Amino acid sequence: MSVWKRFSWRPIRFWKRDDRDRELDRELASHLELESKEQQESGLSPEEAHYAAQRTFGNTTLVKEDVRAIWSLIWLERFAQDLKYGARLLRKNPGFTLIAVLTLAMGIGANTAIFSAIDTLMLRPLPFTAPDQLVRIYSIQKGMFNTFANPDGPSALDVRDFAQRSRSFQKMVAYDTWAKNVSFGESTSQPEQMPVGLVPAAYFEILDIPPIIGRLFSEDENQEGKNYVAAISAQLWRNRFDGDPSVLGRKIRINGEAYTIVAVMPDVIPAWVEPGRHSEIWTPFPYPPDMWSESGRGERGYAVLARLKPGVSLEQAQADLSVIAAALAAEHPVDQGVGVAVKRLADSRVGALRPMLYLLMGAVSLILLIACVNLANLLLARNSARQRELAVRAALGAGRGGLVRQLLAETLLLSLIGGAVGFASAEIGLRTLARLQPENLPQLGSVGIDWRVLTFTLLVSLVTNLLFGLAPAFMGTRLNLVDALKQGGRSGTSGRSSQRLRSLLVITEIAMCLMLLVGASLLVRSIMRLESQNLGIRQDHLLRGRIYLPPVRYTNPGVRTRFCDDFATRVRTLPGVIEATVTTVYPPNNGWTQMLVIPGHPVTRIQDIPSAQFGVVDEHFLRTLGIPLIRGRDFAESDGATSPPVALISEEFKRRYFSDEDPVGRKIHIGPPQLPGITVEENITDDVDVSIIGVIGDFKNAGLALAPQPQITVLYSQHPLVNGGFKDIVIRTALEPHLLEPEIRTQLHELDSDMPFAQVQTIDELVERQTGGQRFTTVLLASFAVAGLALAVVGLYGVVSFLVAQRKQEMAVRMALGASRANVLWLVLKHSLGMASIGAAIGLFGAWASQRLTSGLLFGVSPVDPVTFTGAAFFLLAIAVIASAIPAARVLLINPAQALRQD
Amino acid sequence: MTLRKTPNRTELLQGTLDMLILRTLLFGPAHGHQIAKHIQRTTDDVLQVEHGSLYPALHRIEHKGWVISKWETAKEGNREFKYYRLTPAGRKQLVREESRWKQLAAAVATVMWPVPGDRS
Repeated sequence: MSVWKRFSWRPIRFWKRDDRDRELDRELASHLELESKEQQESGLSPEEAHYAAQRTFGNTTLVKEDVRAIWSLIWLERFAQDLKYGARLLRKNPGFTLIAVLTLAMGIGANTAIFSAIDTLMLRPLPFTAPDQLVRIYSIQKGMFNTFANPDGPSALDVRDFAQRSRSFQKMVAYDTWAKNVSFGESTSQPEQMPVGLVPAAYFEILDIPPIIGRLFSEDENQEGKNYVAAISAQLWRNRFDGDPSVLGRKIRINGEAYTIVAVMPDVIPAWVEPGRHSEIWTPFPYPPDMWSESGRGERGYAVLARLKPGVSLEQAQADLSVIAAALAAEHPVDQGVGVAVKRLADSRVGALRPMLYLLMGAVSLILLIACVNLANLLLARNSARQRELAVRAALGAGRGGLVRQLLAETLLLSLIGGAVGFASAEIGLRTLARLQPENLPQLGSVGIDWRVLTFTLLVSLVTNLLFGLAPAFMGTRLNLVDALKQGGRSGTSGRSSQRLRSLLVITEIAMCLMLLVGASLLVRSIMRLESQNLGIRQDHLLRGRIYLPPVRYTNPGVRTRFCDDFATRVRTLPGVIEATVTTVYPPNNGWTQMLVIPGHPVTRIQDIPSAQFGVVDEHFLRTLGIPLIRGRDFAESDGATSPPVALISEEFKRRYFSDEDPVGRKIHIGPPQLPGITVEENITDDVDVSIIGVIGDFKNAGLALAPQPQITVLYSQHPLVNGGFKDIVIRTALEPHLLEPEIRTQLHELDSDMPFAQVQTIDELVERQTGGQRFTTVLLASFAVAGLALAVVGLYGVVSFLVAQRKQEMAVRMALGASRANVLWLVLKHSLGMASIGAAIGLFGAWASQRLTSGLLFGVSPVDPVTFTGAAFFLLAIAVIASAIPAARVLLINPAQALRQD
Repeated sequence: MTLRKTPNRTELLQGTLDMLILRTLLFGPAHGHQIAKHIQRTTDDVLQVEHGSLYPALHRIEHKGWVISKWETAKEGNREFKYYRLTPAGRKQLVREESRWKQLAAAVATVMWPVPGDRS
């Protein structure tokens, strides 16, 4: 019997084929031996008998192969059986399965989505030749905080001098992007405002992009008058010209002038390389004849791209340029206090979103950790509950191999389902990301799933699965079966240590969850503050649209004034329109700073020149936007081109420059004072004396995050120097603003069929767009916090349910000995509250320690805001109590008599 | 889990071989050679058991749990053989196979000798 037993329950070890092969050989050999013995008995010689036996038996190898085929079939069948059994188990525990799969999916999905985005935005090498040599060059104003969010470009003259004097660069180019009115082909009926890149050929040469067809611009074509050539993108070529190779030589109309297409460029330049929006048309950079006179030295703001010489480091280039910048500052007063910064082109691609991406990266890593912890917890709890089942099966003869294979199949199944759902959620996540995409992150639309990240997260979860899913199989089979069975009913088989491990896991979860919660709440509070700010105007029902009056058609300020007045008058008569104003300023931004001369403010140094945000408007400005007039009078129809120039100043302006004097009636000069090194430039600086006629309320004119700056507002009809082609119209409507858009467009078309009505948005939408980046991060972080919270709740719930089930007997004994149900309930709650509090404390510390991640993103909220910290902590504790109270309430259902009798 | 049954010739024969093996083992444990010889002898050498079929069949029905195997020393001499022994499941399977076979034989007979009462 003992021999029988030894073999009968031997598991088939599919990974030990050798054993079976040897056994099969032996079996067949014994057969052959018998056969030949029989043949010998019938009179053959041993040798003949041997061959005869072989003949009868047939091809031994073939027999072996057939048997082996059966084995593989058996293995497959067994595995399929295990999978089937696993699937049945998963189906039987839908709660466990759902939670495990969702947990996996969240971890895998969130990480895959975010890391795919980060890879595309930050890590992937640029699609250019030797991308490490490509740099951008910025100007830094001394004392100004210069970030990627707010970069300042050097002037063309500075760039020329940088290029001539430095030795670190192969090539350097200043370029720009302008919104221009573009019409294609002969039909001029569909004008569009498009960004047009103003680039010398060097731009493409530095990026090392040859045209698909055609030629790059020549040096000659950078001169004004010779610049009527254009390069178009391959996409534009396909969309507008059907990829027609004879497109070269065709004309497009830009700002009313004809440009000849000389090149088609491949679509490889990412939008962020160009300032502003993505260009599909490039024309040469026409230097005005006086471009190289010193007057343009202070005209900064150009984008500058350069290619380092091979072997020159970023630091060397920076040092090289710093010396030159210092020399320039000494030579030209206007360059005083202006430094230079060299940054890698690759580093500029995420721009201001870098800290947000770091934050999100931290958040998804936390999610992955929480997910793994949760999974570990779930599997631990379930498998220790199953340890008795495993012991029973081992007692019934299942070998360890069988148990491991069984658990392996289950784990694999779980991971695969989780991976599939995770993949799907990553895909959905990326689509959502692309839809949420902030304006300044256009490259987000092209993010695809990164398979390496998917594989990595899948592997992490698989390892977690295997670690915690298979552990009980090994521990379980090593158990003394008798003990396990005996103990099983009494107290469960999990010892104190695995209970402690689970508590530790829950604590970790809660800590990480709290960090996410704090981060998300801070961002939510910040964005709420940012958006709920009073802009200083009546913000609702305001529509903004942009127009551009090209100088070829609108040759002088008088014509421009007439056109704008005509347009605004037509719009005002439309039904549904209450007011309309043509203006260059409206909240939340202005961005046009003007130097002033104010009596009583003598200046000797350039830094001390009074300045203010400058707006050039018509007389309907206050009424349309709803800005209050505090004192004095508003602009009137009588303030025209021939009457004395007048100005409105804001309260902040009055505070800054007039303190408690009454400014109304005072005269100031708009334009820089007469100081050496300062020259008046056309289109940038005004040069007019004005009388202040009124003081108006402050409004947001320096972005949402900054307090209103001093503001001065004048009439364009009275300021021909600053009555340029770029104008916006702001319209107050009685209806939903966008409903009026077609009507307004028609009016504009009737005035000038070549002029597009561009970037039509409500002020509400503008504000929303301003907070787009923060909103993006906030939405993501908040959803991660919710996901983390859900996972933590699940973890806590699981642990407490398990605890209750496990300590049922103990509770029953306590109750039998006189403990009240409330006492017993408290016993359970105390445990989970303990875990939650420790977790929360660690989480608060973590949030405090990671304030650097959030600080740059917050407005009006401290990164260690005590209200948020305590609020989030108490919220989490409350959730923890609820999550554990539900399973803990099961102790109330314990019938002591029954519980004690069980097992 | 059983193999999918498709009624083709080999399957039929294979099932038949399974049945014959199980029937042979009803007398007691036997090793492969004995099984083959027994079937051959009982049928007066009409059924020659192909070894190429016998061993795969043995391993298959062992996996199905109808037989179990062990190495045992033969009664005569000190040689060890792999003996197969019928399990209770195997006994049940034998009954099933037998009744199936009877049905089949009866059906074949009805076609071959259609006059009722004429078959014997």
